[in-house]
Amino acid sequence: MSEPKLATGERRYPHEAGAEPVISVRGLRVRYGDRQVLDGVDLDIYRGETMVILGASGCGKSTLLRHLEGLEKPAAGSICIDGTDIVTASRTEMERVRRLLGVSFQSAAMFNSMTVGDNVALPLREHTDLAESTIRLITRMKLQQVGLSGVENLYPTELSGGMRKRASLARALAMDPEILLFDEPSAGLDPIIAAGIDRLILRLKDAFKMTLIVVTHELPSAFLIADRMCMLDQAKILAVGTVKQILDNPHPRIQQFVQRIADDAPPGSQSYVTGFE
Amino acid sequence: MAILDSVGRYSIQQVEYVGLLAIQFWHAARLLVRINPFGGKRLRWRRAIGQMAEIGVRALPVVCLISGATGLILALQSGAELRKFGAMEVVINLVGTTMTRELGPLVAALVVIGRSGSAISAEVATMVVTDEIDALRTMAIDPIDFVLVPKSAAMLVMLPSLTVLAVFSGILAGGLFTYFTLDMTIAMYLRRTAEILLMRDIVSGLVKAVVFGTIIVHVGCLEGFLVTGGPEGVGRSTTSAVVKSIFLVVLADLICTGFFYFFWR
Repeated sequence: MSEPKLATGERRYPHEAGAEPVISVRGLRVRYGDRQVLDGVDLDIYRGETMVILGASGCGKSTLLRHLEGLEKPAAGSICIDGTDIVTASRTEMERVRRLLGVSFQSAAMFNSMTVGDNVALPLREHTDLAESTIRLITRMKLQQVGLSGVENLYPTELSGGMRKRASLARALAMDPEILLFDEPSAGLDPIIAAGIDRLILRLKDAFKMTLIVVTHELPSAFLIADRMCMLDQAKILAVGTVKQILDNPHPRIQQFVQRIADDAPPGSQSYVTGFE
Repeated sequence: MAILDSVGRYSIQQVEYVGLLAIQFWHAARLLVRINPFGGKRLRWRRAIGQMAEIGVRALPVVCLISGATGLILALQSGAELRKFGAMEVVINLVGTTMTRELGPLVAALVVIGRSGSAISAEVATMVVTDEIDALRTMAIDPIDFVLVPKSAAMLVMLPSLTVLAVFSGILAGGLFTYFTLDMTIAMYLRRTAEILLMRDIVSGLVKAVVFGTIIVHVGCLEGFLVTGGPEGVGRSTTSAVVKSIFLVVLADLICTGFFYFFWR
């Protein structure tokens, strides 16, 4: 396996190589009470690319992800996944789309009453007629893929935070999804474990040519894994582009975000973390 | 106007709650058939068995104790009055019919509310708070099917079973009373009780148990699903599940009793 490169290097991205959009969001509007959380969001995500959704806390990025997962219905707009508008889809159409999706939650969302092995096997037991021995084999394989071996019989509470996250990723991968959605993969993890998760994401991307959608506010991780990024701010998309395009974007909010400058910083302040480029 | 406003708002909330319960019930009822051990889904059946142990088997000692004590209290209290009329033998009728029709199902239901109703709402609410319910939905697994239906099946088997045993221990405790005051052997007492009891009494007790079980499981789950505001919301939903279950169980008891009083004499 080749060493993953920084994504800003010379390479052809899926959106340039003529891939068709697998997810297209049009005019998405979401309100919670009086608060406009998403206000007319348009976004295309191409097959095989890694799209990182960036933004400050509370800018609506998790809300956008929850809508892509079909967990909530928007006030207006459409979300087409693989040709099906999930806003208006019937139950059976929605089930078909959900089988294409693998979701890894920020909190890992493992079922604490089941062992790790049963957690990973759950979608297989629910949706397939495979024999129990085959399911066990697949479960072990998926856990191996995320670098966890021999934890099938442990309970999720017996795992560390990073291991739980990996296990939840194994569960998301169980049904071989085409699209993987990731909410804050490295939130709450130490830098070394977080870097391990980033490497894992890069490996998956290379090995399975999956479409990955990652929501994060961890800049180093975002720059490393992204093909393209989308910057959300105050319920709207400010910019969509490759890592380089985002870094070069002169918009003051984007520059403030990528250079980590506080809202009340004195003018002319520089970021205290440098050298990402 | 403010009073009108709050009364109206409260009424709408209650009607909405009943509506949600009805939707949940209808949805779960259609899925319940899939749980059958022959040809249904393996996993559902296994989960239902686990729930049966939790809801039924572990509640058995406390149900029998409380129901036995209730039966004895009933015999003592009615005996104290009936002694004045020299009609002590009526105690047998009173204990037998009251336990079968009324107190057996009620005591079993109240114990199960305290043990399992609260546990169900806490479990479901925790699953909501930790995103487990959302995780199920993203895996195209219906949370009602996965969480509620096995509990519902377990409850429908276990609460009537517990009720039968509660009735039995209540009647047996009444026999203890007659043994010491009327010099009647337990065997004779039981024979008398069997003569007194009608099919109507037994059926009405079991119908109540089924209705109560359905209420407990659905209120517990709905309170869990409706949890708001993180971990401290779990505690609130548990309290609310217990209070609402008790209220609805007693209300349903009244309705069932009225129904049997008027329509099956």
